[in-house]
Amino acid sequence: MRVILKTRPRAKPRIPIEAETIIPQNFLRKNDIRVYEGNKERKLEDLFFITVEGPAVSPDQVEVILTGDTGVIKRVGEYMNAGRIIVEGDIGMHCGNFMSAGEIIIRGNADSWLAREMRGGFIRCEGDAGHYCAAGYRGEKRGMRGGTVEVLGNAGDFAAEYLSGGEVHIHGSCGDLPGVEMRGGTLTIGGDCLRPCGNMTGGICRIFGTAHQFLPTFRKNGTEDVQYGGKHYRMAAFRGDIANRGKGRVLIRA
Amino acid sequence: MKVEDVVCPFCGCLCDDLVVEVDQNRVIGVENGCTLANEKFMGDRRLENPIRKEGRSWSDITYDAAIREAADILIDADRPLLYGWSGTHGEAQSVGVHLAELLGAVIDNTSTVCHGPSIMAIQEVGHPGCTLGQVKNRADVIVYWGANPIDAHPRHMSRYTTYADGFFVKEAFKERKVIVVDVRKTESSAVADEFIKVERGGDYAILSALRAIVRGKRDLIPPKIAGVTREQLFRVADICMQAKFGAIFFGLGLTMSPGKNKNVRNAIELTEELNRHTKFTISPMRGHWNVYGSNEVFTWITGYPYAVDFARGIAFYNPGETTSVDILRRGECDACLVVASDPGAHFPRACAEHLARIPTIQIDPHVNATTHLATLQIPVAVTGIDAEGTAYRMDGVPIRTRKLFDGTYPSDLEILSKIYARVKEAKGS
Ligand code: SF4
Repeated sequence: MRVILKTRPRAKPRIPIEAETIIPQNFLRKNDIRVYEGNKERKLEDLFFITVEGPAVSPDQVEVILTGDTGVIKRVGEYMNAGRIIVEGDIGMHCGNFMSAGEIIIRGNADSWLAREMRGGFIRCEGDAGHYCAAGYRGEKRGMRGGTVEVLGNAGDFAAEYLSGGEVHIHGSCGDLPGVEMRGGTLTIGGDCLRPCGNMTGGICRIFGTAHQFLPTFRKNGTEDVQYGGKHYRMAAFRGDIANRGKGRVLIRA
Repeated sequence: MKVEDVVCPFCGCLCDDLVVEVDQNRVIGVENGCTLANEKFMGDRRLENPIRKEGRSWSDITYDAAIREAADILIDADRPLLYGWSGTHGEAQSVGVHLAELLGAVIDNTSTVCHGPSIMAIQEVGHPGCTLGQVKNRADVIVYWGANPIDAHPRHMSRYTTYADGFFVKEAFKERKVIVVDVRKTESSAVADEFIKVERGGDYAILSALRAIVRGKRDLIPPKIAGVTREQLFRVADICMQAKFGAIFFGLGLTMSPGKNKNVRNAIELTEELNRHTKFTISPMRGHWNVYGSNEVFTWITGYPYAVDFARGIAFYNPGETTSVDILRRGECDACLVVASDPGAHFPRACAEHLARIPTIQIDPHVNATTHLATLQIPVAVTGIDAEGTAYRMDGVPIRTRKLFDGTYPSDLEILSKIYARVKEAKGS
């Protein structure tokens, strides 16, 4: 089954839409789907032109395609556990929150908190991701716990904060403090970043560009050879964050 | 008439020993206050009545008409924002939170541009704090990090730290060691025993290094970090570890420089590390006199200290998403109520521009930068001068401010209660 949701023109287009109900399993049951526009509850059809093509008997046969002015739609794919969502343009905050299985493809940019506390599945953002990509909610002790997030562009600050499991791959550069408080999982940064892995206690971070202002509290621990993008690299290895009795590993291109 | 034990409603110190001379409904003299307090009490020139913008000019309207119009604007909005609150008393803040819930609005206070990151850090790792009385009576080491109390909290040093003799610190000026950490020399750094001049954005690295040093990992520290020598960091760590009681006070230099809440978290974790050696505490230097109160009131009603979004009927909090600067910069909100604050002066330009685009209502005694962006302004009494109410000092101690004379202006509480009643009636709840 393919569900195409095209945004309708709105009088106040900058008011965010909260749409945690846009997940494949909901379209299978054909429930009365509601979303919020600011403080008003709306029917899905009030805000989207909806086209449904073909049948499905299980959620993993459902593909949802979002198109139009989608950059302010938040929480798409929250608690998603099967199927696929394709966003033709940009997507708003919290896309893929707590997702456990399935696939989300974003052709444009993703706003902050992409894959927040994700547990499984796959997300690919073909543009840039905002701040707190694959991180946790405020005060939460664990961020992303499983699955894979791939960002083909750059990510903002605090990428993979509290990363606890799974794999985050930023092909471009990251902003400030990627991998801060990291405790497990793998973070790969293809480009540059600033102050990576502050206060980390576990996990592996690999940086193939320049790590600016690298923190003084990591202990040099030899070199390692790794493969990345079909090439072979020699990496300087560090352990830390010593300030936090940490046992994480940071590999930076030598 | 002289009124004694007056509470100063200007900064988070909430000094409660002022003597204010009043002539009918005018303050004519202030004793014990700093220059900021004098200006607050003596330079009080108010807007006379509610005003409303029509085209490019302003016209006077009655309080009743202004309240009606304010309520109607908020009822019509799909994403109203209620911002400010730090310059008014707890009772008015409480009505504000209930109003936000009724409207399905976002309510936020000035922490969003000051110590919001401190609260986020406290939510992650807790707060080993204490009252200012503890500091005054016990602390022999004081650290001001990214704060300049002589300019921003002029009586902090004389009432609680450097110059304040305490029960266990009989000759404070000689017995207390003061460490100042800042990116530039300030009046406060001039009186410090140790001044750590850190490069901009270098606080996080310095804090991490100090934590490692306190943990005994001195061999790891490179000769220089963010412009600070290793020897100075060793010296400062030794002063802190040898203290009988140490107190760190931090300001916006830490909360609003790169790293934000992570800087504060690192400072809290340094404090925890120091507590393995001695007694150490950490406290934010809160700015507005009742900004701490706004965090208290918001928290006891909603569970969250600022940036609370009621759009879905329940409280949701996420700084970066539900904070006023972010909402305004993204152009999300379609009406704004500003109470006891001046975002027109403090917010980035893009936010001010959005305030000017949407209906903005201001409840404030004075004409300020936000007036020029607003469509409606309702003048009120000044809490601590002609209105009374509860405020929280920077260390979380509630203090009742006093009313010095009966003025002619309604208080924030009266105006907000009337707006609330009208909204409630319209919503039929
Ligand atoms: S230090 Fe602050 S509270 Fe005390 S008198 Fe000065 S402005 Fe008022």
